Amino acid sequence: MSRIGVFVCHCGENIARTVDTAAVAQECGKLPGVIHSVDYKYMCSDPGQLMVKQAIAEHKLTGVVVAACSPHMHEKTFRRATAGAGLNPFLCEMANVREHCSWIHESRTAATEKAIDATRMIVEKVKRNAPLSPIHIPVTRRALVIGGGIAGIQAALDIADGGREVVLVEKEPSIGGHMSQLSETFPTLDCSQCILTPRMVEAFQHPRIKLYTYSEVESVDGYIGNFKVTIRKKARSVDEANCNGCGACQAVCPNKKIPSEFDAGLGKRSAIYVPFPQAVPNIPVIDRERCSYFRAKAKGSTKVVCGKCAEACGKGAVHFDQQDTLVTEDVGAIVVATGYRLYDIGKDQDSELLKGYGEYGYGTVPDVIDGMQFERLASASGPTAGKILRPSDGKEPTSVVFLQCIGSRDPSKGIEYCSKICCMYVAKHTMLYKHKVHHGQATVFYMDIRAAGKGYDEFTRRAIEEDGARYVRGRVSRLYRDGEVIKILGFDTLSGEPIEMDADMVVLATAMRPQAGMAELAQKLSVSYDKHGFINEAHPKLRPVETNTAGVFVAGACQSPRDIPDSVAMASATASKILGLLSNEQLEREPTVARVDESTCSACFHCERVCAYGAVEHKDIRDRSGNLVRVVASVNKGVCQGCGTCLATCPSKSLELDGFTDAQIHAAIMAF
Amino acid sequence: MSTATAIENKSPASAGRFEPRIAAFVCNWCTYTGADLAGTSRVQMMPNVRMVRLPCTGRIDTAFIIKAFERGADGVIVSGCHPGDCHYSEGNYHARRRFAMFKELMNFMGIDERRVTFSWVSASEGRKWGDVVDETIERVRALGPFDDYKTLLEETP
Amino acid sequence: MNELRQLARKLLADKTVGVVIGYEEGQGAVTRPSFATSPEQAEKLVFDARCVQNLASYLSPRRSTVRSLGKPAVVVKACDAKALAGLIREAQVKREDVVVISVACGGVLADPRSGKALSEAMVADRCRDCDGAHTSLADHKVGQAKAPAFGSPKVDARLAELQAMTAPQRFAFFKSVFSECTRCNVCREVCPMCFCARCMADKSEPQWIESSPHLRGNFAWHMLRAMHLAGRCVGCNECERACPAGIPLSLITRKMQKVVSERFGYSPSDDPNVPAPTGAFRLDDAQEFIR
Repeated sequence: MSRIGVFVCHCGENIARTVDTAAVAQECGKLPGVIHSVDYKYMCSDPGQLMVKQAIAEHKLTGVVVAACSPHMHEKTFRRATAGAGLNPFLCEMANVREHCSWIHESRTAATEKAIDATRMIVEKVKRNAPLSPIHIPVTRRALVIGGGIAGIQAALDIADGGREVVLVEKEPSIGGHMSQLSETFPTLDCSQCILTPRMVEAFQHPRIKLYTYSEVESVDGYIGNFKVTIRKKARSVDEANCNGCGACQAVCPNKKIPSEFDAGLGKRSAIYVPFPQAVPNIPVIDRERCSYFRAKAKGSTKVVCGKCAEACGKGAVHFDQQDTLVTEDVGAIVVATGYRLYDIGKDQDSELLKGYGEYGYGTVPDVIDGMQFERLASASGPTAGKILRPSDGKEPTSVVFLQCIGSRDPSKGIEYCSKICCMYVAKHTMLYKHKVHHGQATVFYMDIRAAGKGYDEFTRRAIEEDGARYVRGRVSRLYRDGEVIKILGFDTLSGEPIEMDADMVVLATAMRPQAGMAELAQKLSVSYDKHGFINEAHPKLRPVETNTAGVFVAGACQSPRDIPDSVAMASATASKILGLLSNEQLEREPTVARVDESTCSACFHCERVCAYGAVEHKDIRDRSGNLVRVVASVNKGVCQGCGTCLATCPSKSLELDGFTDAQIHAAIMAF
Repeated sequence: MSTATAIENKSPASAGRFEPRIAAFVCNWCTYTGADLAGTSRVQMMPNVRMVRLPCTGRIDTAFIIKAFERGADGVIVSGCHPGDCHYSEGNYHARRRFAMFKELMNFMGIDERRVTFSWVSASEGRKWGDVVDETIERVRALGPFDDYKTLLEETP
Repeated sequence: MNELRQLARKLLADKTVGVVIGYEEGQGAVTRPSFATSPEQAEKLVFDARCVQNLASYLSPRRSTVRSLGKPAVVVKACDAKALAGLIREAQVKREDVVVISVACGGVLADPRSGKALSEAMVADRCRDCDGAHTSLADHKVGQAKAPAFGSPKVDARLAELQAMTAPQRFAFFKSVFSECTRCNVCREVCPMCFCARCMADKSEPQWIESSPHLRGNFAWHMLRAMHLAGRCVGCNECERACPAGIPLSLITRKMQKVVSERFGYSPSDDPNVPAPTGAFRLDDAQEFIR
């Protein structure tokens, strides 16, 4: 006979305001098998937990039901308390009467009724709970970092410095990410490359960091502590071991007019190229889409076209026949640090949510550039060697207009969120411009100036007060090319006046978006993401760098728009979580796994067919003399993740999932 | 108390308006968490749903839905992760096939398919969960109590 | 007939098999399953339009008595071959553990007890859309295969009638037919694909399907049976033929067969390597019913 204790929490007023907690306790006290039922102000407080522990001892409880918040909040707390009183923790479950009840309903009568029902269903379930013990699994004590921008580099360095091996995967030919493209950084105006490149070199030379550039994650199998990651090393066409980075190949390449990705399309590069001088590793890659040799081959030509780079290479390192290779790495934890890309205001959008900007000519108006392009113009390593010159004719602009919130905070264009960094980098741009073009006038159209952060507000004020940037609160409704200049039609919402002005150059602070292919990567990792493709953190406040998949962490702008300090802080946080995780030789896992009733298994192996993890094995049943009697299905507990798909597929109902057994679910439905 | 009386007593026909009883079978990682988010965001919805949490839609046997109707449910919600987002990679794909067949079977047997809502609600779709709940309740309210099923036992000749 | 007996005699005589599962004369005008274990017994074997039973069901591991007779050779019609393929697909039978004797079948009688000759009116519904070809599973082929020439299955017309009804009318229809069900389980016993060692319906802890014969339990049973057979049922209609209550079970199995075919592009196949639609999925499976 069950002896269940029910503990109803008021959560201060959070539950008690809408749910008559005393009535819930009283009603549940009448349920068969419930021998103790109380309500209390804060069940999760020390005295609350003590009540649970004392009741277990005093009433010899065989099961505990806490009617309170979501089990995602406090199931661990109460299971620990239950274990503390000597009862198996898996005999404790929670009924959700806060998130699923008091917070979403107004009627006290209806909410109370619902709370009673929800608790009764869990009581009936708990009556059928069985004591379970955690599963111990070994841990591969190394980590994978996906993305070699500043967040990925920081995470990799911190983990490696903490004594664990790191596999760092970057899809571009060099690590460094967007930060390597920036000129100066806010709010200090220190040179971006000057602070970044030492970290890149450190990562490259670190004995515990294994670097894969020009590589992507192909597939991820396994689970926390035991991931098996397949990495696609894209064919560089250059042998990394032999190349000494002399640059002779680039010098002889005849295709030198290819828009450089690093220079945001403003500079040119060759078909065999190193993205930028400080690239790490300093090993070129052949862009096969644009290389004459490969283009001729793709067209089916049997003649060898070009091949000059191979001839110029003194090391024989250019290998046209190199193929993509797949390598497998075992890791125990994964950091996703894939960063961001910018909203393209053009007509062709890769998401049906996004609309593009017809009012700004869908990006076709000359000298209308985005923030990253301005960074390249302002950068000493950029295509203009740091001179601010407009792309169309190389003239120095005397009037530059900056438009904030292009894409961001604009639900009609598909993005409702704030991109967070634009207010700051626009202020920085106005300053860089003023410092380089003393007679120039910067004008900023803004919606709000969001400058929360250490030294941030001071920075924007410096742009306005010391460097004379003119800030106009309002949106630009239209811009078009008018001969030499760009006509701007806007509205100053503070003065209530329409504004018409000429600009030599316009800089759009376009929204930050997650990298292309984020949904696919997230699916490979089984982590959840929002409709924009940003990775969801496990809890917005308390678990900001964890994802809902154990062992997978998130850092930087792939989680939400982030600036450099934020990204670095997140990266160090993931490193600390991972070092903690990898300090264990074994992990404990929830024993929510499937098992087979061998006496009724008919060995049809439907379970095997639906198992995404390959956890179902064939087991021989032998008689005493060792003769094979029959074969049955058997679940490998270390591999099973507990989804339960096999149960619903098994025709004879010969599988069970501990924690969610058929008997438990049936009982809950019967109590409906 | 016999099952029949128990069901009758629990049927909320209060205040003139029919209050349907809806059972919801949801996965832990997407819809349950999305419903948590609805709570955290104080998304208001009607209180007629009673939820059973499963690890994955892959775990949801169609026997659960039948049993819910036997226990007096007027409607059922089955909800999990969007395709591609399954915490267990593939559970919802298998579930989708199962639900597709079951939906057609129900319809064939004359069980009004509007009594069952199948939905994908992600962990970030708290508002959508509220919509799914309210839409289902309104739809089932309009259909009226599922007496056809509730009285099957009594009607056995 | 001689060809079949000769073959059976040979297989038994040279100990290729321990038993030949076929048909023999039964009481009255009907035939019944036969289990010939010696060359002499092979003389009993017959095959004609009265041989309706799906002999693949005797290969199920559930039939331990048959298994104890040694390696079987089994006489299969085209429909039985699909069931045999199902058993191989679902790991109940190893292909190499059975000798398949495919018999040319020009269709069987809907009711072998009628004593009538095979005709358009008397043919079993399942034979109407059968191509009559020898199965590719055949180790031995007996007789010249010929495609039966009958009209399209009558069950389709009944399905269309049902489909044209309103939902409440359909519910009333199934209520009336299920009220006849006594839960005798013949539909399950006769089904070649119902091979479970312990049927879900016999599980009492918990009891998903109420075992007493009342409408509520009967609905649960017939719906869950349909779900379990969806994508697995080979359409042999043995359940309907055997049902003493005359429940038109082929309506349900045929409906599910159509659903599976329309949604997942799968039709019952005598090729064990064609994967069944359950236990598989496509990323782009239709989900118009999901909000």
